[in-house]
Amino acid sequence: MTKRAAFAQLSSCWGCDQSLVDLHLKLLDVLPELEIVYWPAVVDYKLKDLENLPDRSIHFGFVEGSCRTREDEHLLRTMRAKSKVLVAWGSCSCYGGVQGLANQWTLKELLERKFLKAETITDGRIPDENVPGFKEDIRPNPDVVPFDVLLPGCPPTSDNTAEALSALLAGQPFDLPEKTVCDQCPKVREEKHIKVVHRTHEGKVDPERCLLDQGYLCLGFATIGMCGAQCPSVNTPCKGCFGPPPGIKDHGAKIISALGAIAEMSPEELKEAFPDPLGSFYFTDYAASYLSRLVGHTKEEEQ
Amino acid sequence: MTATTQRAASRTKAKERARFEPRIVAFCCNWCSYAGADLAGTSRMQMPPNIRIIRVNCTGRIDPSFILDALYEGADGVLVSGCHPGDCHYTSGNLRMRSRYVLLKRLLEQAGIEPERVHLQWASAAEGDVFAQGVTDMVERIRRLGPNPVRRRR
Ligand code: SF4
Ligand code: SF4
Ligand code: SF4
Repeated sequence: MTKRAAFAQLSSCWGCDQSLVDLHLKLLDVLPELEIVYWPAVVDYKLKDLENLPDRSIHFGFVEGSCRTREDEHLLRTMRAKSKVLVAWGSCSCYGGVQGLANQWTLKELLERKFLKAETITDGRIPDENVPGFKEDIRPNPDVVPFDVLLPGCPPTSDNTAEALSALLAGQPFDLPEKTVCDQCPKVREEKHIKVVHRTHEGKVDPERCLLDQGYLCLGFATIGMCGAQCPSVNTPCKGCFGPPPGIKDHGAKIISALGAIAEMSPEELKEAFPDPLGSFYFTDYAASYLSRLVGHTKEEEQ
Repeated sequence: MTATTQRAASRTKAKERARFEPRIVAFCCNWCSYAGADLAGTSRMQMPPNIRIIRVNCTGRIDPSFILDALYEGADGVLVSGCHPGDCHYTSGNLRMRSRYVLLKRLLEQAGIEPERVHLQWASAAEGDVFAQGVTDMVERIRRLGPNPVRRRR
């Protein structure tokens, strides 16, 4: 019997869908077992097509993106109502995504920056007609509705999504691994003594040695290992896009904890070393951090 | 808001402030600051009653998430007190704490949370007075900032 699947897109970059489509011919392994009832990223479905389905009639509902608009939240709640198993698909969905970094500012500041003060804009105005309206801040989707499966990654690799789909089809659990990107990384590691932090474009990378040992901020040690260490394998530091392994409550706290243990730098040098610590330590999961939650409370208080 | 209601509102705010008793979590290392706190107590030194001490073996054991968790749970401030640099029972745990503290303050600042809510001090086992003064200063610092917004909402 085929299983009914739906793929919904909230505010996002479409990368998770792209990664699924990148399976190419391997898609044929799973497609015959799926009846796709909603996938507007690829086929012309409308919201009412989803709304008209009976509750809990979708076996697997995949949600990409996070709630920046009220319409996103409506779509998310609709997906929850219609789906038996709801999958947070990608880091946007699991943690809020890159757009979660916007939680550093109020909605008013963001709207003014984007619609009135952007360098390319003359005669700007903030759109307020025929648009669904923005949410005050970004929250991880699991704070809004309960999820059954988390599949992080920005995006999850094609294989990650294929594996999750296969597990769901086989009725097996899909659990996140405890291992880190470092556990998957081929680089040679030494005892760590970080004396200077390089920006990614500075210096010359030794392709054999661990990037962190060479002073590049590679976050593999604090990041869940699901991608096969694809960035360090091509000499690019891990930005932590899959978020932390399960059990780690706060990605940035984990990162500064580890940096504190290996950095042999004065307090002044450390301060200088990270011009944008939130952006560097919470690339896709600031909205899920203690800090963002604390600030969220402050904003509500002010209103 | 009319001028009268505004004045009334600011009066209530001022009253709230005066009534506000900061709740501060203090992480103290076993070998120096906890002993220092003990000494301050047994020598009957004066200090405000606003702190709840949590003893850890070494400040190097304090994961930054403990501090963030304390703030998230409603602590108005978090004080970390450890051995002076060079005096750590485990050689360099306090220096690790100092590096984490520097980075944590940067994060708090960038996120828009008063970095003064978290403070690191050194106090040895013989420095009951330094410990007591540190606590007094911390309570004053937090009193000026007002309650943790998380707590005001609950
Ligand atoms: S998780 Fe990353 S790839 Fe997927 S939609 Fe969000 S930003 Fe795009
Ligand atoms: S290069 Fe990065 S991922 Fe690889 S071992 Fe070093 S820190 Fe870990
Ligand atoms: S190496 Fe890091 S940044 Fe690159 S895909 Fe994997 S988790 Fe993401």
